[in-house]
Amino acid sequence: MNAAITLWSKQMTKSLRNQMEMSGMLIQPVLWVVLFGVGMGSLLGPAVPGGEDFYITFMLPGIVALTASGGAIAGGSTWLNERLQGIVKEYLAAPIPRLSILFGNALSIVSKGLIQALVIMIVGLIVGANITSNPLAWLGTFVLVSGFALGFAGIAIAFASSTDNPGAYHSMIMLFNLPLLFLSNSLYPLETMPTWMRIASMVNPTTYVVTGSRIMLIEDVSAVADAATISLWLCFLVIAIFALLGMWWGYSAFRRSIK
Amino acid sequence: MNEQSNNGLAIEAKGLVKIYEGDVLAVDGIDMAIEANTIYAMLGPNGAGKTTTFSMLTTLLEPTEGTAKVSGFDVIKQANDVRRQIGVTFQETVLDNELTGRQALDYHGRLYGMSKESRVEKISELLALVELEEAAGRVISTYSGGMKRRLELIRGLMTNPRVLFLDEPTLGLDPQSRARIGDYILDLKEKEGLTVLLTTHYMDEAELLADRVGIIDHGKILVEGTPAELVDQMGADVIIIQGSGDSEQFIEKVNALPYTEMVTSADGIIQIGVGSGSRRLVEILSQAHEAGYQVEDVSVSKPSLGDVFLKYTGRQFRD
Repeated sequence: MNAAITLWSKQMTKSLRNQMEMSGMLIQPVLWVVLFGVGMGSLLGPAVPGGEDFYITFMLPGIVALTASGGAIAGGSTWLNERLQGIVKEYLAAPIPRLSILFGNALSIVSKGLIQALVIMIVGLIVGANITSNPLAWLGTFVLVSGFALGFAGIAIAFASSTDNPGAYHSMIMLFNLPLLFLSNSLYPLETMPTWMRIASMVNPTTYVVTGSRIMLIEDVSAVADAATISLWLCFLVIAIFALLGMWWGYSAFRRSIK
Repeated sequence: MNEQSNNGLAIEAKGLVKIYEGDVLAVDGIDMAIEANTIYAMLGPNGAGKTTTFSMLTTLLEPTEGTAKVSGFDVIKQANDVRRQIGVTFQETVLDNELTGRQALDYHGRLYGMSKESRVEKISELLALVELEEAAGRVISTYSGGMKRRLELIRGLMTNPRVLFLDEPTLGLDPQSRARIGDYILDLKEKEGLTVLLTTHYMDEAELLADRVGIIDHGKILVEGTPAELVDQMGADVIIIQGSGDSEQFIEKVNALPYTEMVTSADGIIQIGVGSGSRRLVEILSQAHEAGYQVEDVSVSKPSLGDVFLKYTGRQFRD
């Protein structure tokens, strides 16, 4: 565990020093909220419970999830780079559990995802999202987002461990990432979808991180889309399983890559 | 720790084989017995299997067959014990450019569970050793190649290793930096009692530093011995000529002589390998005269490791 924390701290120090990475990390989610949330509100707003003015509230958890998965992809890319440059060898030659190498990286991905989630929610409040300021609800949301980011970090690390080609990594991971966003209820509620899409969305972990966050963050329960179909405890359960499976996948791919 | 089990050997390998995915045979049965407190140099062309051997001994790769012990610990069954005994620098520069030199060392020490006090103490001691105190607070991206190599060397020393593994420690450095790193390595052996296994492209470096040299190609150790032993068995002489003028024509003429074993030319220095230098010298100098090549300096000497290498691998060692 000590080793995982050391590696986490090292990754965070590196990122904090990289001004370009930091500003990109903070500005991108703001752009999503402002450009997509505000811009698409008039188009998609009528479809969500609560109506047009509520769209920004509706889609805020979706942006959090999208940003978290984007962060995981960037983290996987860093991992691939470190593998190709040989930086991972420094860790492999050290007397530390192999799992802690993976955890250290995954933890830094989760931490950055949480910083971004916080920024998104604050910007959301500023542009008029109708979310609660109850700290417990925010904490619960962060727990869900952490699990989601952890699972996705595992997947990204699995992809990044299975190829030596950054281009291949990015095209594969985007193939994975795109349906995760669009085949979920991040941008539109389940009931507005055709049946096949709804079924696909129901097996997509994104749906659960988004719905769970909505249940916790939106005070007016009647305005929470899909709360009737998906309960909060189910969201936590699904995300916990997703996190475990993702990490397990990442770990086994990592083990294979160092054989 | 566990000193009795290693028979005075710091590194011991028996029948090491590594076959990569796709049936690529990288290491084909390597045996090694390296005594403690010595410097051993692995010499070989790219793709000879040096780095793969190195990776197996440093627990980064599992051997397909065979066993190896470092400081008496088995590299597979006691990998973590081996890791605590060794310091490693890799062929690639493996540094995080965003960190300062001091941070890189500190994180390394933390990874090995060193306490804060011992890290601080060790870092200042090591920075002084390689004269990097002034640069320690700067981010590594501002370092020169030589500074990065020195930093990596002391990073490998952070955790008080007994055995130091250096994969091409001076690759791509200017002669001054190379000489400096060479001095540090010798010091570590003599003052700290370390055992050093290094791979290198530089013959002169192996000759200067190593107690024993192993020439490796196609995954096998072709020949092993002290640098003096290896060179002595060559028996032949090398004539070294410095001068100016049409060296190409001169080389052509020398090549045509029946007793010429090899001719190389680099940096204005022409090396000619012959059976007996003193007997052939006059004729070779007259060839130079005929070719219009002005000889300014000439010497006859015993061959170097580079010539040994050529003999065993059939290729010229380029550095």
